[in-house]
Amino acid sequence: MLELVDIGRSYRVGPGEMHILRHLSLTVAAGELVSIMGGSGSGKTTLMNIIGLLDKPTSGQYRIDGQDVLKAEARELSRLRNRLIGFVFQSFFLLPRLNAWRNVALPLMYRGTPEAEARSRAIAMLERVGLGERTEHMPAMLSGGQKQRVAIARALVGEPRVILADEPTGALDPKVSQEIMDLFLALKREYGVLILIITHDPGVAAQCERQVVLANGVLTEVVPAC
Amino acid sequence: MLKRVVAEAAANLLASRQRSALALLGIVIGAAAVIAMLNVGAIARNETIRQFRQLGTDILTLRADGNMGLGHFQLSDLEALPLELLAVREVAPFVIGGGSAQHEGQVAHSSQLGITAAFAQVTRMRMREGRFISDYDRFELYAVVGAGLARQLSTPYAPIRVGSPLRIGRYVFTVIGVAEPMLHSPMMPVDIDSTLFVSIPNVRRIMFNPSLSMAILRMQPDADAEVVVGQLQRHLGPKLRDQRLSVQSARQLIAGMQNQMQLFTLLLGAVGAIALALGGVGVMNIMLVSIAERRREIGVRLAIGAQPGDIRTLFLAEAVLLSVTGGVLGIFLGIAGAWGFAWLSGWEFVISPTAAPLGAGVSVAVGIFFGFYPAVMASRLDPIEALRAE
Ligand SMILES: Nc1ncnc2c1ncn2[C@@H]1O[C@H](COP(=O)(O)OP(=O)(O)O)[C@@H](O)[C@H]1O
Ligand SMILES: [Mg+2]
Repeated sequence: MLELVDIGRSYRVGPGEMHILRHLSLTVAAGELVSIMGGSGSGKTTLMNIIGLLDKPTSGQYRIDGQDVLKAEARELSRLRNRLIGFVFQSFFLLPRLNAWRNVALPLMYRGTPEAEARSRAIAMLERVGLGERTEHMPAMLSGGQKQRVAIARALVGEPRVILADEPTGALDPKVSQEIMDLFLALKREYGVLILIITHDPGVAAQCERQVVLANGVLTEVVPAC
Repeated sequence: MLKRVVAEAAANLLASRQRSALALLGIVIGAAAVIAMLNVGAIARNETIRQFRQLGTDILTLRADGNMGLGHFQLSDLEALPLELLAVREVAPFVIGGGSAQHEGQVAHSSQLGITAAFAQVTRMRMREGRFISDYDRFELYAVVGAGLARQLSTPYAPIRVGSPLRIGRYVFTVIGVAEPMLHSPMMPVDIDSTLFVSIPNVRRIMFNPSLSMAILRMQPDADAEVVVGQLQRHLGPKLRDQRLSVQSARQLIAGMQNQMQLFTLLLGAVGAIALALGGVGVMNIMLVSIAERRREIGVRLAIGAQPGDIRTLFLAEAVLLSVTGGVLGIFLGIAGAWGFAWLSGWEFVISPTAAPLGAGVSVAVGIFFGFYPAVMASRLDPIEALRAE
C-alpha cells in the first residue's frame, strides 16, 4: 500500500548538505504492523514526516495505492492526511483547550462532519480505547497513558488506513507502555489498519510482525531470529 | 460552522483573559471616542436647531459701536427702517443694562432691557400671564419679567404674577406680564428668560447713563441676509457719523457655530482614529504572541488535516471577536460619554442613529485589517517546524 523508492532527504546546513536519508526504500502492505528502530538523530521523524505527507523528500518516489503523492498539491495533501493517515506523537500533542471528545473529533470536524455525528463517533472511539468515562475531561486532568489513548482515538476516529506513531511509548513507564502496545495490537486486528511504530524500545519492536532498522540513511529489515 | 468557529475563538480568548482584556482596552477607547464624537456632534446640531427654532433664522442684530464701548442709535432712525427698506419687516430697538429687583424680600440681580412693543413680536415672546409693554405705557411704572426671573423673585407665599410690586432702585414697578419660558438664543446678548423689561422712556429711572445701542430685526421671509446687511450699512452708516454699525445675521452665526463644531468633531475623530489604530496594533500584537505560543497546536491541526484556510479563519475569528467585543463596549462607553457631555452642558441628549452601526462596522474592519496579517502568518506555518516547537 505504501511504496517508498530510493528516497533521499537532505538538509542544507551552512555551506554543505547533510544527507539524513539516502536511497531508502520501503514497501508496506495494508494491515501490516511495522516497527522502525534507530538511534537518536538517525532520521526516524524525518522519515515519518515524509510518509505522513508533511514533508517532501529531495529525491525518490512515493506512492500510496499506486498514486504518486509527491505530485499532489497542498490542498490535496491536507485532504489525504485527513482521510488516510492518523498521527500519534511521543508527547501526545492534545489541544489543551479542548476536552477529550473534542480533541478526538477534530479530524472529523476538518472533514465537515456535522457536530452531533462527530461527537457520537468520538465518544464511541473513546469508549473503544477505554476512556468512556472521561469524554469531557480536559487533557490536563488526564494521566500520560490516558492522554496517549485519547491521541490514539483521535488518530483512529476518521477510519484512516495508516497509523503513524512516533515513539508513542517514549514518555510512558513500562507498564503503561505495554498497555498502549496491547491497544495497538488489538486495533490492528480489529480495524485492519496499517501501523508504523517508531520506537527505541526493543521490547516494543519485538511485538511487531515486521521490524526495520534505520541507520546511515537506509533501512535494513530485521529477520526474525526463529 | 460559523457558530463553531466563533465558540472556539471565544474559548481561546477566555483562556488568556488578561491579555485579551489589554488588547480590548485600546479598541474600547478608540470605538468610544468615535461614538462619542458622532453623538456629541448630533447633540450640538440638535441644540443649534433648538436655539434657532425659537427666533428663526431670518433675524439680524444691530449694534452701534462708539470709539469707547457701545454707541448710540436714534430711536426714530431705527423705527423708520421697515418703511425705508423693503426687506425689513420689523425692528425692535433696545437699551441694555442690569441691576437688582426686589419683591417681598427676594432680591434678584438680572439683565434689564428697555424695549418697545415690537420686541415681543420680533423675538416671538409669548406671555404666560398678562400682557407685554405697549408703546402707550411710556412713563407708567410697568414691568414684564421672564419666566426664569419670575421664579427667582417668587416666594412660596407670594409668587410673581400680574399686579406684583417690584422695587427697582428708588421706584416701585408693577408687574403687568410674565413671559413663558424661552430658550436662550445665541443671537441675543442676554438670556431673555431671566430678564426684566421696561419701556424705553423708563430706562432713565433705573439705569445710570443708558444708551440705545442695539436692535433686533426681522427680515422679510425671502430676503437675502447679505444683501440686507449691505443695505443697512449704506442706509444707517451715514446717520451714525463717527460710530460704526455692526450687523450679525443668524445664518452667519450658525455657520460659525457649525464650523467650530466641525473642528471639534474632527479633532475627536482624529483622536478616535488614532486610538483605534493603536487598538488594532494591540490586537495584532496579541495575535502574533498567541500564534507564537500555539505553534504546536497549529502544527497538530495541520497534520490532522486542517487546510491553511481553516487556520486563517480560526485566528481571524479571534481577532474579529476581540475587536467586536471592544467595539460593543466602546459603543456603550461612547454613548455614556456623550450623555455626560449633554448633562454637563445642559443640552438635550440625542442618540445619533449612525453612531452604533458605524462604531460596530469600524471595529469589525479594524479586527479584520489588523488580524489578517497574523492569521495569514499562522496559516503559512510549516507543520513540521510547528510540531518541533517546544
Ligand atoms: N530543518 C532541519 N534543518 C537541518 N537539520 C535538520 C532539520 N530537521 C532535522 N534535522 C536533522 O536531521 C537529523 C534527523 O532528525 P530526526 O528525523 O528528528 O531524527 P530522529 O527522529 O531519528 O531522532 C537530526 O540530526 C536533525 O538535527
Ligand atoms: Mg524523532
